[in-house]
Amino acid sequence: MPEGLGRDAGILAVAAICGVASGMFGIGGGVLLVPLLGLLFGFSQHRAQGTSLIALIPPTGILALLAYSRQGFVSWRTGLLLIPGVFVGGIGGGMLAKKLQPRRMRQVFAGILFALGLWQAVSAWWR
Amino acid sequence: MLQLVQGWLLFTTRKEKMDGALQAVRVIFRRAPISMTLIVLLLGLGVGVMVGLLGIGGGVVLVPAMVYLLKMDQHLAQGTSLFILLPPIGLGALREYWKQGQVDLRAGILCVLGMLLGAYGGSLVALPMRSRKLEGLFGCFLMLAAVLLWRKAWLEGKTMEGGGRKSDA
Repeated sequence: MPEGLGRDAGILAVAAICGVASGMFGIGGGVLLVPLLGLLFGFSQHRAQGTSLIALIPPTGILALLAYSRQGFVSWRTGLLLIPGVFVGGIGGGMLAKKLQPRRMRQVFAGILFALGLWQAVSAWWR
Repeated sequence: MLQLVQGWLLFTTRKEKMDGALQAVRVIFRRAPISMTLIVLLLGLGVGVMVGLLGIGGGVVLVPAMVYLLKMDQHLAQGTSLFILLPPIGLGALREYWKQGQVDLRAGILCVLGMLLGAYGGSLVALPMRSRKLEGLFGCFLMLAAVLLWRKAWLEGKTMEGGGRKSDA
């Protein structure tokens, strides 16, 4: 693992790239940050996930959210309705993860994600 | 219930079934806020389970779900997703990781700074775009994220025995 300022600058740059994706696509950024911390900086999966959680505690998307809401692109009602479900479901999923093999599931999830992305890209192109 | 019947009538009276089905869905969604509310609540629950299970941010699942299931515009779905991600949903999980010393605080703070600014820049790029183009880009992004996730999980399987660390920064 590279040490010192070079590593810090690298992490900052990677985080900025994840942030751009976060603002562009309205996502948390963890989905990029976790694999990139692991692949580029040699973080173990647990350490990458824990560190990414730190990055997601402060509302890093707040500036982007303000930009979206200024143009009326936020459905507050739907958002408020989704939050409790995501929270409760997250706890349930966390408990379930202890009983299953998370690595295998991440691969299955990656497969589904790829298919979903392909479908969306193709449908947006063809319509 | 009334809306369901209404939708069903619309569906059966139409000659073109696909069109009718779509219309029925639209009628149900537009005129029945209660069933809509229920669907949204269930959707949140489903997404939450995936988040806890896979340790992955919810947005990547939420945005396509809102676009396809709730028929939202791509921009609207993304803005709403950013809103949902505001509260620190992962706080409980973070505590567990912290207890086990699996948190790199220095790297985490750097990530916060980078993402805060990056996210704002990203939103400035995305907002003037056409919804359709943004949707296509989102699809490409999902594929990229999927490849990275797969690669990480695959390498992890190999590094169980040590070695195989990638560092091409």
